Amino acid sequence: MIVTLTVNGELRSASVPPETTLLVMLREHLHLTGAKTGCDVGDCGACTVIVDGLAVNACLMLAAQADGRTVTTIEGLATREGLHPLQKVFEETGALQCGFCGPGVIMTSKALLDHTPEPTPQEIRTALTGNLCRCTGYVKMIEGVQEAAAMMRSPQSPALAGQSPALAAPEQK
Amino acid sequence: MKRRGRGLASMWYPVGFTVAANPSGAVVKVNEDGTAVVLTGTVETGQGALGVLSQIAAEALGIAPNDIHIVSGDTDTCPMDTGAIASRTTYITGNAIAAAAAMARDTLFEVAAGMLGVKASQLEAKDHKIQVKGFPARNVPIADVALRAHIVNGTPPIGSATWNPPTVPLDPETGQGKPFGTYVYATQIAEVDVDDETGEVEVLRVTASHDCGTAINPMLVEGQIEGGVFMGLGFAVQEEILFDKQGKQINCNLTNYIMPTTLDMPAVECDIVDSYDETGPFGAKAVGEPSLVPTAAAICNAIYDAVGVRIMSLPATAEKVLAGIKAKRAAEQKQIPA
Amino acid sequence: MAQDLMDRELDVLDKERVAPVETLRRSDEALRLPAVAPPTALPLEPPLVPQVGEQTRAVGLRAQRPDSRNHGLGLTRYIDDIALPGMLFAKIKRAGIASARIKRIDTSRAEAMPGVCAVLVGSEIPVNSFGPSLQDQPLLAHPIVRHAGDGVAAVAAVTEQIAQAAIDAITVEYEPLPGVYDALEALKPESYKVHGGDTNVYASKVIKRGDVEAGFAQAYRIYEGRYYTPGIEHAPMEPFTSIADWDANGRLTIHASIGRITLARCDLARTLAIPISRIRVIGTVVGGNFGGKNEIRHEPVLALLAKKAGRPVKGRFNRVEEFVASTIRHAFHMDYKTGVTKDGRLIARQVRMVLDGGAYCSFSETTLGKACILSTGPYEIPNSLAEGYVVYTNKTTAGSMRGFGAPQVCFAYESQMDEIARDLGIDPVEIRLRNMFREGSMSSTGQVLHSVKVKESLENAVKKFGWEVQS
Repeated sequence: MIVTLTVNGELRSASVPPETTLLVMLREHLHLTGAKTGCDVGDCGACTVIVDGLAVNACLMLAAQADGRTVTTIEGLATREGLHPLQKVFEETGALQCGFCGPGVIMTSKALLDHTPEPTPQEIRTALTGNLCRCTGYVKMIEGVQEAAAMMRSPQSPALAGQSPALAAPEQK
Repeated sequence: MKRRGRGLASMWYPVGFTVAANPSGAVVKVNEDGTAVVLTGTVETGQGALGVLSQIAAEALGIAPNDIHIVSGDTDTCPMDTGAIASRTTYITGNAIAAAAAMARDTLFEVAAGMLGVKASQLEAKDHKIQVKGFPARNVPIADVALRAHIVNGTPPIGSATWNPPTVPLDPETGQGKPFGTYVYATQIAEVDVDDETGEVEVLRVTASHDCGTAINPMLVEGQIEGGVFMGLGFAVQEEILFDKQGKQINCNLTNYIMPTTLDMPAVECDIVDSYDETGPFGAKAVGEPSLVPTAAAICNAIYDAVGVRIMSLPATAEKVLAGIKAKRAAEQKQIPA
Repeated sequence: MAQDLMDRELDVLDKERVAPVETLRRSDEALRLPAVAPPTALPLEPPLVPQVGEQTRAVGLRAQRPDSRNHGLGLTRYIDDIALPGMLFAKIKRAGIASARIKRIDTSRAEAMPGVCAVLVGSEIPVNSFGPSLQDQPLLAHPIVRHAGDGVAAVAAVTEQIAQAAIDAITVEYEPLPGVYDALEALKPESYKVHGGDTNVYASKVIKRGDVEAGFAQAYRIYEGRYYTPGIEHAPMEPFTSIADWDANGRLTIHASIGRITLARCDLARTLAIPISRIRVIGTVVGGNFGGKNEIRHEPVLALLAKKAGRPVKGRFNRVEEFVASTIRHAFHMDYKTGVTKDGRLIARQVRMVLDGGAYCSFSETTLGKACILSTGPYEIPNSLAEGYVVYTNKTTAGSMRGFGAPQVCFAYESQMDEIARDLGIDPVEIRLRNMFREGSMSSTGQVLHSVKVKESLENAVKKFGWEVQS
């Protein structure tokens, strides 16, 4: 069957078997390997992408369910002009170690910040509870999301200058 | 009601294999512009090894960490390395790289000696320059020296070295001997709240003070400590592989094998002990594995402090703690008041 | 479940039927182009700002990790992100029974399935055993199954789904054998012997210093306790993944998430019976190790499947295999007996420990050795005796895991230390200070210790935490 998505701001179609998950479509058909296969049953969050503004486990969503929707993956976060503040802060503080959970953690955090620009540490912890990490103890991630939120709130943030309109926070449905 | 408790635990931990040889080899090649490529057989497994190793190579060559490119983890191109195991990378691979870098640097000194009109032994490498010790104004940029070494002198600066920690085999009867090159030490203190009606343990904060020799990169050391406390927390209160009577695992997935999430993680206060081990590269030892060693004991001692229940078998689940609280109450009721 | 899937499929079909013509046309046009997603924008800013200034050392810098840019952009290439042209996908059938003899394996239905390119059983492996100290572990069990996670057959097929279906189509006939599922049971003479012979004990260790009985005789008080710690899964976020690829000269390249590539290469050469020079192991970025990725797992199986099929083969454990077919942390049973003087000095300590090694040796000897050496804790104890044993059981193999036995013995020795402190009415900080190693102390193996910083770590932690020592 044919599935058409807006991926990272551009329309793309692929012909996939009906049982294909969104994760497999992204990784194997669109060659976007940023979202990872950690458990394939929705426990670990390594496959998190944003679909119409909400963070979802791409391994639990059929590609067909995402047909016609807007999908943002980790590959679509940065622009030529700059990194997303989350990427920047995570990079500077060493918030990721082996990095396998990283794309999921960053996408979950982005979805949170899109809807909650000033999250409390508890809100960050709650949002990230579905993203397992075995290396870091989450400490620098939680601090990093707070720091990125502060950067995004300050209007002169250079990191924001590069945000393309396609990636601006979508309106909530 | 919630009862607060605190507990502490100290530990020691060795670096590298027990007696068995666990060598590392390294090759350091200085390029024509004074940057360098390092070949190592170790593998980046997330701990930040390649960052630490490039800092060690940079320090030895007097250049910046991002002037170093590391080629790793390929048996065709890299010298033998025992690998990312036993917290040995910084100490053992680091020593091999430091020695290989020093060998390449010696070639640079030979070339620079001619350029500066001094003996090679009078030189040092610092801030992208080869300079005369005590007279830093007399210097040549490392890039100029490296280029000259390649295209004028015909002595490309390449160093190679291996390192293996010195050990003495253990006596088979008594186990006496010198099994390891060096050890690291640590103390962690945990603060917990225990709900005496449910037995639930909430770990509020862990203070972790670790000796790792020189911290080559304190940010990465903190990352290891935070991750170690996380893993120790799981060991202490959550994680256990359960088997049925026929030896089959019954919680073999991430839904039923419970490990800490963001909601379980306590605040971690890291402290890096001022320390220098003269057998390590620039005084460094290790931190990878040790960071999780004392956590469970500290948490269980804190549980005792809070509710007087001694945990003898891990994990300290709410069921176990509550059973302990009930048993303690029952025992207290049986006692005849004095 | 099947009904549910079918409903979903029908839904999708309905949707296709009612899709507006323009959408279909648009999709159709899009499909003429390769379905490649827009590229990741690589920011112009340099990834690593030079951080070394005038007279600044590189050592001690909070420098950025060289891999953090790729991590953040999702561009770090783990093995599962690599696809070679024509690559097949492998699956391994797990025994699902902990102790049995394989009577017959019927792979005919699997072999006949369209899309299946190669099938492998244990008897076809040149040298079907590996292990870092004892080579007692088969790659695919043959004929004895020793734990439920043992592989019994493997398939390479054009897709993961077909490989899975083929695995399900393989039938194995077992003759169930008795088993032993508890480490203390396994010590008994009458227990089932996992590897035959007359004992399940396959490694033991003694570390002896001074005269422990004389020490106990002088003790003011003696404390005894039995401690237990369970098996733990490494649970790295990246499951075991490898790719095997042969070239026309019969040279094998293995892409593996393994932290010890030279050991892996030796094991591959041994099991495949080919020279080391014909093997290249590339250890890609490992997505979490914690000791679990220190030896080969399924790589020779993938290599043999790739050889049979004439195409590269990728194998990726699913999360359940990650638990049942990898190694775990050893469960420890520990008896601690410690004699102390009135002022809280440890004068004698006897430790006996039994480790549950599971079905195969793996890194058990190292784990046992480290645990015995470290079992005294960071304390000067003039008389100590540690004895340890590892036993086979018909359970998941225990191997190396972050700490090699140290977290287990630390739980025991520090729990007992707390008990002693409370019983003697000495502050837990104070009792440790009285016993701790100092520069030049002798360890349990008689090693003279240098750069000893345990007292400093205690003092720093106490200060940072705000612990007020009761004197």
